[in-house]
Amino acid sequence: MTGNVHQLEVTALIADDEPLLRQSLALALSRVWPELQVVAQARNGREALELFEEHQPQIVFMDVHMPGLNGIEAAKGIARRAQLVFVTAFEQYAVQAFEQGAIDYLVKPFDDSRLADTVQRLKQRLQGKGLPTSETIDQVLNQLSEQLRKHKVGEQAWLKWIKASVGSALKLIAVDQIIYLRSDAKYTLVVWHEGEALIRTPISELADQLDPQVFAQVHRSAIVNLREVSHIKRGANETADVHLRGRSEVLPVSRAYLHFFRQM
Amino acid sequence: MALGRADAWRYRGCMDAPGAVIRTQSRSTGWARFRASLRPARLVFTLCLAAIVAGVLNPIFITAFPILLARTLFIGVLSLLAFSAAGQWPKTLPSWLPRWVVQVLVVALSLPLGTLLVYLFSVDGDWRALMQHDARLTGLVSITGVGLLVGPLLAMAALYRERDAQARSQTLAFELEKSQLERQALDARLRLMQAQIEPHFLLNTLANVRALVETGSPQAGPVLGSLIAYLRGAMPRLREQAASLGDELALVRAYLELMQMRMPDRLQYSVDVPVALEALRFPPMALLTLVENAVRHGIDPSEVGGRVDVGAASDGTSGVVSVWVTDTGVGMSQLAGTGSGLRNLRERLGLFYGVEACIDFSEPSPHGLRAELKFKP
Repeated sequence: MTGNVHQLEVTALIADDEPLLRQSLALALSRVWPELQVVAQARNGREALELFEEHQPQIVFMDVHMPGLNGIEAAKGIARRAQLVFVTAFEQYAVQAFEQGAIDYLVKPFDDSRLADTVQRLKQRLQGKGLPTSETIDQVLNQLSEQLRKHKVGEQAWLKWIKASVGSALKLIAVDQIIYLRSDAKYTLVVWHEGEALIRTPISELADQLDPQVFAQVHRSAIVNLREVSHIKRGANETADVHLRGRSEVLPVSRAYLHFFRQM
Repeated sequence: MALGRADAWRYRGCMDAPGAVIRTQSRSTGWARFRASLRPARLVFTLCLAAIVAGVLNPIFITAFPILLARTLFIGVLSLLAFSAAGQWPKTLPSWLPRWVVQVLVVALSLPLGTLLVYLFSVDGDWRALMQHDARLTGLVSITGVGLLVGPLLAMAALYRERDAQARSQTLAFELEKSQLERQALDARLRLMQAQIEPHFLLNTLANVRALVETGSPQAGPVLGSLIAYLRGAMPRLREQAASLGDELALVRAYLELMQMRMPDRLQYSVDVPVALEALRFPPMALLTLVENAVRHGIDPSEVGGRVDVGAASDGTSGVVSVWVTDTGVGMSQLAGTGSGLRNLRERLGLFYGVEACIDFSEPSPHGLRAELKFKP
């Protein structure tokens, strides 16, 4: 029987950044599928790809969340050269995507009976039954990597920190703490709740990277955090002044930027 | 896309001494305040009073009423201007000289000077003509006398009213601030109550504990102990109300022990805080938030991992206590948000220790993040 001979030689790779979980999965597999040879264990996505190329296993158990290259990205590199089983902890969106794409997955912590189901399906697939089409796998992986990326940096990547070197130290200013920015010829004065700094980045360069829902450029030389505005005082000649909450400074509003406050 | 690091020409951060940095010139200058202090009500009052004085003095003066009225009006307005100006200039006064004294003195001086000016004008600047004319001299002296009697008294009354109004608006502002603070405190407490232990963290940790149990590892017992300590500290219903820095450190140690079990090859840590500081009252979960942040954003994304060091010190002279978390992880990307965790932490810190309390972030060399809480206990 060729099928039996084939089964005896089945090899697998386990990729997980948590060593105890790698051991635990290997141990569970030895109980549920004693013939399976776990030929390598990887600690991250990059190692998983290297060890995959080295050992060419038929099955890869891939943790979704890993440092460096994550499980989804690593799986893209393996593509259809192995049977993929994703291992994940409570990533609801991932689980849904796997189900839609008929990709096998395990949710940590899992028990032997759940693993036995997966092993059953793997055995069937290795014999050429019930393989998902290649298009669906690619589609699901692309969709997932996009979701993971968004999950990491948020919908839109606005500036969250300004890094300013002070002597030999590098300070981080949390953008959501900033009250206003003012510029003169070369420098930009950044004022936030706990301090202030004069940095060399021109205000125009910062303006494009700040979340427009929070910050408004009200003058060529001034950007204000709208949450910190107490009131606007109109002046002559279509100009106005911005008064800030609990502070004495006043920022100018030029005619071109007055529309910000029309609806306020 | 990401911005290169900027050079700070000058910098003043959390709890740094003021003065080290430039201030933008406030546009609400003395001139604006001077104009604001010339309120219409004051002007009208001055003009009416001048007219009454003219009316009272009219019977004893030979001068026609309109001319007398013009004189008293001029003197009155001049005194008002002098009073308002003395309210703003000079900008600084010696400490032994209160501003109200200057204002009253200026009014007392401006009255005779103004009257003299008016009379010199009426005789075309001829000093001798004025001194030899009895009627004019009497006029000069009587207007000056009335002015000196009434002027300083009025100035003092105006100052009293001004201070009264200021005190009232300050009380109002204070009440408003107090109610806002109370609401914020309530919000912060609610959010802390609703803060849940991440299921992701709990399930992953339990999966690890099970692996230890399965293999019969002697580590299983201590790790379960850490999990219990963590749950006791992090579950809102189990948390004690009056938390100390020592309680918080126990929570942080439990968390770090659990994380080290999960990533033994990638996480090293130390918690080193002087025993004397452990009794300080401390907002619950404040330090844990920073430590979780260090593990999640610093160590976990790194293939090689790194160290997390927790420390504290108190400055004997300033009384400022610093508690810091330093990691050698990948560092904070300029585009990486930390969610609402840090903002909530700032808010709770401010409510717990007052507005002065703050968090300072910096990047140690060659990479990583250092977060430092500073407060006066």
